[in-house]
Amino acid sequence: MPEHRDPIDRAYTQAEELLDDSNSRAARRSRILGAVAQEPLAHTAPNLSSHRRPAWRRGDWLAAASIAGLGVFLATRVYQSAPQPLRTMPTPPPFAPAASEPARTSLPPAAAKTISRAGRAPTLKSAAPAPLAAIPPSLDIRPVASPPMPAPMAARAFPAEASPPPSQQVIVTAERRASPPAAGKSEFTGGTQDDSLGALGSALMAKKPAPPPPAAPLLGSEADAGSPSVQAGNLRAASAGGRLSEIETLLALGVPVDAPDVDGETALMKSIRADEPAAAALLLRHGARLDQRNRAGMSARQMATAVGDPALERAVGLKP
Amino acid sequence: MCPIRLAIPEAHVPSRVQSLDLAAMGAETSEDADLLRAHVAGDPHAFERLYDRYDRRCFLYIRRLLGQARGDAAEDLHQETWISISRNAGGFDPNRASFRAWMYTAARNKVWDHFRRQKVAILTSVQDSAAIMVADPAPTPLEAVESRELALKIVAAVEALPLAQRETFVMFAQAGLSLEEISNITGAGVETIKSRLRYARTALRQALTTERSAHA
Repeated sequence: MPEHRDPIDRAYTQAEELLDDSNSRAARRSRILGAVAQEPLAHTAPNLSSHRRPAWRRGDWLAAASIAGLGVFLATRVYQSAPQPLRTMPTPPPFAPAASEPARTSLPPAAAKTISRAGRAPTLKSAAPAPLAAIPPSLDIRPVASPPMPAPMAARAFPAEASPPPSQQVIVTAERRASPPAAGKSEFTGGTQDDSLGALGSALMAKKPAPPPPAAPLLGSEADAGSPSVQAGNLRAASAGGRLSEIETLLALGVPVDAPDVDGETALMKSIRADEPAAAALLLRHGARLDQRNRAGMSARQMATAVGDPALERAVGLKP
Repeated sequence: MCPIRLAIPEAHVPSRVQSLDLAAMGAETSEDADLLRAHVAGDPHAFERLYDRYDRRCFLYIRRLLGQARGDAAEDLHQETWISISRNAGGFDPNRASFRAWMYTAARNKVWDHFRRQKVAILTSVQDSAAIMVADPAPTPLEAVESRELALKIVAAVEALPLAQRETFVMFAQAGLSLEEISNITGAGVETIKSRLRYARTALRQALTTERSAHA
């Protein structure tokens, strides 16, 4: 049923007629038609639905989202030099066994680098890639938690981080020389899959059946009495796990809130990668820096944007 | 409440605003599509004709949505709207919507984008609810607008309406869109559009009656 026009409608129409400014209208006309004449006409422009915004159509959004997703994926894969999720495992004992240290350092740096890169590419294992072939057959490879940095550099970044727990190191031993390839492959795959999960790994890792690492209690044990770097590692692990009470306790103990690991990743970055808004907000309240960058040059702010969780963005102040 | 009779000089009222010829509008619609096609085909004058036909309605719509305080922005958004129409002319499908509805959709998107940039809160539902509380005074027979002063008051009263009501009222009263067209453009139901229109008229009558009483 058509709606009838009301006297008030006509009054308004007449009011607009009275207020019409023909001079400004003429000026507007020449300006707009001139601008339109300079525009290249899109003869094959996509259909503009009456229900859809003309500036952004579905295809545009999809293309933009695909490009953004690809960029984040590439940034995660290429610029991260170490598997992130493994560092969110339960905190290791403060000191690694001395036996593993000589074995690890006996590996040539080039070979260690090759192993680390191969460990981050799951598809390379079944194809027997060249880097793996370059490793002597007597070597046994297990997932690594920290990148194969040269020892002096690691010591400069954070001294105790250069000694990861034995369960997460590259261990070169002779005792596994005869182990079947399948066993080695499955163990190796576990590490690479975790790594390929990228930012999601931190949250998921807590639910995975963890390999044997001794789950040392974070607080109230010898770990507390260890070096500050161990406590900083505890802080990062608690941040990735969203364990607020642990975070608060560690911060109260004086653990530096922005202490980075060997990748330059801070507790705030860990919490953001794990999508833990409450932990991120808590760290920010304690003075964590959003603009501190990791070794890949990525800041916590950029990570929060990449995660794309509105709650997280609000927690870190990117959105009101 | 005394009825108000307003007189307007004949010279001030163009004949085309006395009534809306719906049959002519239907012919206009098909001609709009032809003009847009001619524009896509390269006819330099087709777009000018289309522009001359709708520029005023389009500009007033944008202007009233933005309000007098943002007149400069209205000029910019109006220009952006017509450039957008020209760019996307090839994608216009007359079987899906009339050119008018298409044009108002483009203009509306520009305005809403502007609001988003300016962080203007669009509290549609709250304002609609508030409008229900407005009592409807006796009808005011405003048959003509007697002076520029009164015209300014009417426009000010329109711009004081809640955004959703203002938009609906301007599209219906000034642009001559049907309720269904407004519903398609805004995405609200026809009954909602009817309600918004009714609340807008009620609020306008009340505002103008109050204005008149103050000067009586």
